[in-house]
Amino acid sequence: MIKVRAVFEKCGRAKYISHLDLNRCMQRCFKRSGIPIWYTEGFNPHIYITFALPLSLGYESKVEIMDFNITEDEPFEIIAEKLNKAMPEGIKVVKVYSPQTKHTLIKYADFKMIFSGDVKSELEDFIENGNMTTIKKTKRGEKEIDLREFVRLTGCDKEGENTSVTLRLPAGNDLNINPSLVTDLFIAQCGKETELLSVERTAILDAEDKIFE
Amino acid sequence: MLREKIEKYLLDIQKPARYIGGETGSVIKDKSKVSVRFAFCFPDSYDIGMSHLGMKILYSLKNAREDYWCERVFAPGVDFEEIMRREGIPLYALESLDPVKDFDFIGFTLQYELAYTNILNMLDLAGIPVYAKDRGNELFNIVVAGGPCVCNPEPLADFFDIFILGEGEEVNLELMDLYKQMKAEGADKKSFLKKASQIKGIYVPSLYDVSYHENGIIKSITAKDGAPEKIKKRIIEDFDKVFYPEEFVVPFTDIVHNRASVEVLRGCIRGCRFCQAGFIYRPFREKSADSVCRQARALCESTGYEELSLASLSTSDHSQISDIISGLIPYTEKEHVNLSLPSLRVDNFSKELMEEIKKVRKSGLTFAPEAGTQRLRNVINKNVTEEELMRTCTTAFTGGFANVKLYFMMGLPTETDDDIRGMTALAQRVVDLFYSLPDRPKGRGVQVSISTATFVPKPFTPFEFEPQATREEIMHKQQILMDSISSKKIKASWHDPSTSILEAVLARGDRRVSEAIYKAWKMGSKFDSWGEHFNFDNWQKAFDECGLEMAFYASRRREYDEIMPWDHLDYYISKDFLIRENQKAQAEQTTPHCRLHCSACGVSKETGRACF
Ligand code: SF4
Repeated sequence: MIKVRAVFEKCGRAKYISHLDLNRCMQRCFKRSGIPIWYTEGFNPHIYITFALPLSLGYESKVEIMDFNITEDEPFEIIAEKLNKAMPEGIKVVKVYSPQTKHTLIKYADFKMIFSGDVKSELEDFIENGNMTTIKKTKRGEKEIDLREFVRLTGCDKEGENTSVTLRLPAGNDLNINPSLVTDLFIAQCGKETELLSVERTAILDAEDKIFE
Repeated sequence: MLREKIEKYLLDIQKPARYIGGETGSVIKDKSKVSVRFAFCFPDSYDIGMSHLGMKILYSLKNAREDYWCERVFAPGVDFEEIMRREGIPLYALESLDPVKDFDFIGFTLQYELAYTNILNMLDLAGIPVYAKDRGNELFNIVVAGGPCVCNPEPLADFFDIFILGEGEEVNLELMDLYKQMKAEGADKKSFLKKASQIKGIYVPSLYDVSYHENGIIKSITAKDGAPEKIKKRIIEDFDKVFYPEEFVVPFTDIVHNRASVEVLRGCIRGCRFCQAGFIYRPFREKSADSVCRQARALCESTGYEELSLASLSTSDHSQISDIISGLIPYTEKEHVNLSLPSLRVDNFSKELMEEIKKVRKSGLTFAPEAGTQRLRNVINKNVTEEELMRTCTTAFTGGFANVKLYFMMGLPTETDDDIRGMTALAQRVVDLFYSLPDRPKGRGVQVSISTATFVPKPFTPFEFEPQATREEIMHKQQILMDSISSKKIKASWHDPSTSILEAVLARGDRRVSEAIYKAWKMGSKFDSWGEHFNFDNWQKAFDECGLEMAFYASRRREYDEIMPWDHLDYYISKDFLIRENQKAQAEQTTPHCRLHCSACGVSKETGRACF
């Protein structure tokens, strides 16, 4: 049994595949691809896939990570090629390699968001001074949290008529901040009419802000 | 662009993946390079429609032709429909996301009567007038329908340009070819319909006049403009060689039947008198074990499905069923594919088959004795004896099963209260059998569930003449059933008869029913087969307003010589045969199945050769 990690994009129509459905979809992709995929043992054998981070329905991503096992050695390029032949529109494997790290090292994720109109200064002001207390749903119920200490603005630019914003947010086992918590607050406080047009995960990082691999 | 408009709202609705396409196996073409576009509409939700095998066959078949493009359309959920209407999003097809209004053909499959209002709703959502007469004479937007309910399409006659009778593999392409040719010639719709009516299997309802007696019974059905007096259904001569898809569209969301499926046979040898499918799909034809295994493999490989089913009315009647199963098992086991065998018959449920099934299925078993007593089973020609059922249950129990579900129909012709009590008595004997077996599953109690459905008489069956039991009669029968159950090991469930009453009305309705369907839809009826949406009062009002009585269609006995609304449609089942069978039913006599003895139903006379 050989451990394998794949990085894939989930864009276009594929962004409407929910996390639960993605697992099933990947099971079938692996079956179609014909790579020597490993099945769990026991009563109900299935293909073993673990995803590093779930992605909310409707978000795109350039950097989704999944781990799986194969039973025979096969070159990583061939695995990528076979998988890509089997993938639905919008999902594309960009890298396949042998994992050296555990998913638990993941600490942050970057999200690039596009807001309609020019709201650059409003956004910068909001990140500096806006009210960032909100209610976060956890497994143990709801609790009030102040997002300011968790949110980092890593990019804010005009993009045509719209504004693109990149936020770095905690991600992983310990704490996950969904970007919608921040964007909802911003839209409410912006003062200008604006809409969130798209969200895309652009990076997954470790505690030192290095790209997780 | 429509796509942007759709995407704007997708995240506000349930299971958005159902509305945006992009699934593996969906076919994308360059629309500037295709000459005929076909919108295949399933008049129910994506989850149900995507489970339907006939759609998959015709989708692949049409798309195999380079210059034809077939796309899928489903009824949007109530939440999305509201947004579509509010935001002016027309009904669109899932591949191109183009409006249905842009398509040459708009084809519906009629699988069950309770989907009829959804058809009107979908046409309306597409921005297409629901009445055929309001759609103009341009050769475009031809609204067609196929599927089992087309054997009596009269209640929908006002809404459709064309009905396609019988098996669609050949005639669909012939129809599209004619369209392509006449479109190039600049013909109009009227001349196209006239020409199309000459194709075997094509029924153009506007070319027929129906007149009625004062009592509402049909006086005559007359063909005009050279249309044939009798429209014959189509059948595939060589079923083993007929087109079968090597790919399915694989949905992202979970749907009712999410699996690879190979059709193993068509038709049925049994002749159960209540079963429309058993008659309208005749003759019985099998696919060879080799073809089945080859097609199953190809489909599993192309879809990546983890489940494979063998589809037919009665898979265990396949003469090579053991070869099929033993041919599939090595592959499915190696590739971790579950093999599921749905319609197994009690009387064919051998020990070997049992062993094979046990390998793949561990849950409970279902059987359909359909009637509680042997007398009534003889009436309906369900040739299952109690000994056979008990033998099967013995095999099942000793094989480790402890849950059995028994399906019955309620309101069958000649049924008495004793027949109803017979259901419980039968269930009790199954319970007793369980405890009499020394090698029954240990540590578990047996559970027998009785599930009843109200009987609906259907066209082209020996019971097409029969009245349906009235609501009062059904309520009485349900009470008898409940009163007869005293054991905790037996449970019974049933449904409100209202939907079955409507089903009976629509199944044997005539053209005048079109108006009532229109009115019910206008009053908001849709998704009538979904309990939570069904509103019987709407329908009652609609029929009242049209001056029609539901009882006339549902619970009236027809004379043998009455002209039925579907009498001009020829499904090769002769009226004489149906009358003979009806008389035998009244006399509680059974008819052997086709392999044992041919009962001259009319099919072989039409095909010109013996069925076996
Ligand atoms: S012609 Fe005879 S064998 Fe053929 S379907 Fe009819 S009854 Fe059965």
